[in-house]
Amino acid sequence: MNFLAINWPHVWFVTLLGFALVLVLLVVLIYVLKLFGVIMQPRVKVETPKEVHEAVGAPRKEESEHITLTGEATAAIAMALHLYYNGIHDEEPTHVTIKRIERKYSPWNAKIMGMNNLHRN
Amino acid sequence: MWTDILEFFRGMGFMQMGADFLGAGWQQLVMLFVSFFLLYLAIKKQYEPLLLLPIAFGMLLTNLPGANMFHSELWSAFLDPSSPAYHSYGAILKEGGLLDVLYIGVKAGVYPCLIFIGVGAMTDFGPLIANPKSLLLGAAAQIGIFITFLCANAMGFTEAQAGSIGIIGGADGPTSIFLTSKLAPELLGPIAIAAYSYMALVPVIQPPIMRLLTTKKERAIKMKQLRAVSKTEKIIFPIMVTTIVALILPDAAPLIGCLMLGNLMKECGVVDRLSKTAQNELMNIVVIFLGLSVGATATGASFLNWQTLMILAMGIVAFGIGSGGGVLLAKLMNVFSKEKINPLIGSAGVSAVPMAARVSQQVGQEENPGNFLLMHAMGPNVAGVIGSAVAAGILLTMLG
Repeated sequence: MNFLAINWPHVWFVTLLGFALVLVLLVVLIYVLKLFGVIMQPRVKVETPKEVHEAVGAPRKEESEHITLTGEATAAIAMALHLYYNGIHDEEPTHVTIKRIERKYSPWNAKIMGMNNLHRN
Repeated sequence: MWTDILEFFRGMGFMQMGADFLGAGWQQLVMLFVSFFLLYLAIKKQYEPLLLLPIAFGMLLTNLPGANMFHSELWSAFLDPSSPAYHSYGAILKEGGLLDVLYIGVKAGVYPCLIFIGVGAMTDFGPLIANPKSLLLGAAAQIGIFITFLCANAMGFTEAQAGSIGIIGGADGPTSIFLTSKLAPELLGPIAIAAYSYMALVPVIQPPIMRLLTTKKERAIKMKQLRAVSKTEKIIFPIMVTTIVALILPDAAPLIGCLMLGNLMKECGVVDRLSKTAQNELMNIVVIFLGLSVGATATGASFLNWQTLMILAMGIVAFGIGSGGGVLLAKLMNVFSKEKINPLIGSAGVSAVPMAARVSQQVGQEENPGNFLLMHAMGPNVAGVIGSAVAAGILLTMLG
């Protein structure tokens, strides 16, 4: 193998420039994505805590500090949200399940036959 | 009648192999055993079976004497400017076997792009959009490609071959095949096998490197939960990335474009049928064609030589350097940033989606069972896919 036969300047050029280009291109993408994130942030008016407390009548910060959620409660809330957002819930048949039962007349269910005919004198 | 019987016996593969045993016969026999071994790895050990199985079977078919399913001489003529069959797909269709016809898709660079559509349709870029800094880790992991390019040059490979060997460090099978089919088609078999083997061996290769380069305390770092990414962001992302990358680096457009097309089909939500087809039917069909035809290029003469062994050795070096590069950059980022990141996610910067991310999660949980790094590692992981496609585009522009 002849090391001198290799075009080392070109090999180094490809190595350094190639890697630099990968870095530069992905750094450009980082800034574009960051900008993108700023633009796409939901523009919802965030109410100040005071407004929220007044509107909802919720406990103030000092009071709310005492509220602690257990792991089970957090899991239940997370599960409920998951079910709600993914539309996972019991399928409702959307029709009334209590039907009026109609039986055809038969001597077997005839009321008159079930009654004792007491002879009255 | 005796002549017919004699002809039948002469036509048998055993006889053909025996007749030229000292020439190509022993190589065919060895390659048959290599294919059996790869089939064993795919079926019993489940190392990337989806691709290793068709590759191994393609290898088996191409090395059966007398089967005439793949003709390497036709493809040599295809690349020879003095041959009448130079760049003539017609000659391939006329004289080639089944595997020659399937190989046209590799040669034309069609299969890797179609696979990228499927990969895009199965990838969630959400973690990357939520944490754009992941792209830096994806870029750092590409250092393995360029260092191996240097080493391969020093070992006597041509620049084009060195570029194809280096891309193994990107740990991205379709990208390796795409670049090699353009730059050094004669090395396609060993490079494809090296790329897919190392992708399958991610859980074996990466953890020692990750542990070597990080402290116990670093591995236990817990990261802040990622922000939620809206659907609109996910829809605009593929369009934006394709436009920016293709305008800067047109040679990367086929791979990035197909990747992002698949992702757009998934995220937009209006072409569910196309998205499902890309993820399943299209992907599966192309994987069969790609695997069989790439395996077919591994003939005895092209595979059993020192070059193959050197490619396999340099491939693992490329992969190791890439994994280490990501981890080291993550450590460097920790020096400058307020919010600490777990350096284990840096190794996921090599593509190998999602296995590299899973390895980060696994190694992280060994130190701290309550640490969930998977989603954080998915950012650099998908950034690695973009990074390796960009690196392939750069090498194609400079060496093609």
